[in-house]
Amino acid sequence: MTRKEFLQTVSGVAGLAAAMPNMAFADAVKKGPKRGVSVYSYGNEFGVSATLEDCLAEISDLGTPGQLMGVEILANGHVEGYPNPSDAWVEKWHEMCRRYEILPVELGHWIDSKLYVEGPEGLLDTQESVAKLVDDIKLGHRLGFTRGRTKLGMLDNDGMPTRNWREIVKAALPVAEKNNFRMLTEFHFPTPLKGRVMDEYLDFITKEKCTPWFGINVDFSVFQTKGGFMGMGKGHGRPDAGARRWAMPAMPVSQPEDIIPILPYVHCCHAKFNDVNRDCEDQTIPYPQVVKILVDHEWDGYLLSEYEGADKVTGGAWPAVRRQHVLLKRLLGEA
Amino acid sequence: MLEMPAVQQRGFRNVYRNGQCIGFQIAYRSTYYRGIWLSLSKGFSVLVDGEQFPREAITVTIGGKTYTQDEMTRIGNVQWQKTEPAILTIAKPGGLKLGVHQVTVNWSHRTSYMGPDPSAPKQTGPAEVDGPGASGIAGAFGGGNCTRELVLVR
Repeated sequence: MTRKEFLQTVSGVAGLAAAMPNMAFADAVKKGPKRGVSVYSYGNEFGVSATLEDCLAEISDLGTPGQLMGVEILANGHVEGYPNPSDAWVEKWHEMCRRYEILPVELGHWIDSKLYVEGPEGLLDTQESVAKLVDDIKLGHRLGFTRGRTKLGMLDNDGMPTRNWREIVKAALPVAEKNNFRMLTEFHFPTPLKGRVMDEYLDFITKEKCTPWFGINVDFSVFQTKGGFMGMGKGHGRPDAGARRWAMPAMPVSQPEDIIPILPYVHCCHAKFNDVNRDCEDQTIPYPQVVKILVDHEWDGYLLSEYEGADKVTGGAWPAVRRQHVLLKRLLGEA
Repeated sequence: MLEMPAVQQRGFRNVYRNGQCIGFQIAYRSTYYRGIWLSLSKGFSVLVDGEQFPREAITVTIGGKTYTQDEMTRIGNVQWQKTEPAILTIAKPGGLKLGVHQVTVNWSHRTSYMGPDPSAPKQTGPAEVDGPGASGIAGAFGGGNCTRELVLVR
């Protein structure tokens, strides 16, 4: 086959491992929770003082010999020429992944329900939503991703998706399966893991029998016990319009053990964090408890760092993600 | 490479057509963490040395194509890439004088992962020199005002 055909049939782990003959397949992807980074963490510097390649080089510094670092990129943030990157750019992407020992894990992409209006009337119709979703699934496959952080349009601020969400996702399921791409809806503060939003998603997953092609991404902000959002909110004292909206409640919305019953449907996690100190201990999210649950239950997937600390916008992301990965290495027995 | 603030120094110049100076241009970098479909933009507002320019006086050039702000609201299949500044061309017969100018650009957009808010303004408000900022956290999530002193040389 031609080089182009090879790259187009490469999919996730198998293709990447095949392209790296010196790394045994078993070593390249071990079972259990594994480490990675979302390039979203470096959003302050991306496009200004860091290219995508710089971000991959940084992530490569966090690795463990013999293992691949997982990565998330944002479809319309980091893919040059989105929605249709050139073949040359896609080849360069795969070449960079090989060179920096990176495994593409999750593509962040959005269903822009407010494409033409604010709503709730006139939100994007099902047909156009499905068309864009299908394009993103195929793009994800082309880039080697096996998961999407599929951001559904929202009906409210409690995390309930738009009324046509079931039709949209159901129409895309065959394409997802064909492209080895798991569409994952994200659970994020302030939506709890137990409640009507989770019930809505589990009802669909059960009725459609669509595991793993539609599932859950758990963002660890749901376990956050204190602090605010990027320096705003309770305890940070910034007089800010954001303070009310982003104030953390006295108790977290979810306990670590709330993740246990949904683990069969969780195919990726966002290792959200906003404050890891110089001793590499997380100050606002119970990482030891959460990671222990994932290890004990032999959850097989990637923890992709998402940094949202107050100093993200003043250059703090680079050392913060490094400190978090020292913590994760310790919790996963790699240090 | 782009500068960190939303309003770029590079690209700030007068614009000539058929030998006449018809206005000036400003390059604007989106500080939002991802690109957007053009129709998600709620529009650009420009204030220079105390002069507020009407929405209709501003065209937007992205990817080599120039759009009126009205046209942009209907285009849901063209992306404004994160790594490319939007070139705003502002109509002003005679353009700006050579020298230092105080420039403020305000911008906002719709986000689909927040619930619909019918009370939210449909368009970006006027630019304000000390208005809610586009730098830092606010900018990372959706725009705001960016004020800079820029030097015009041509």
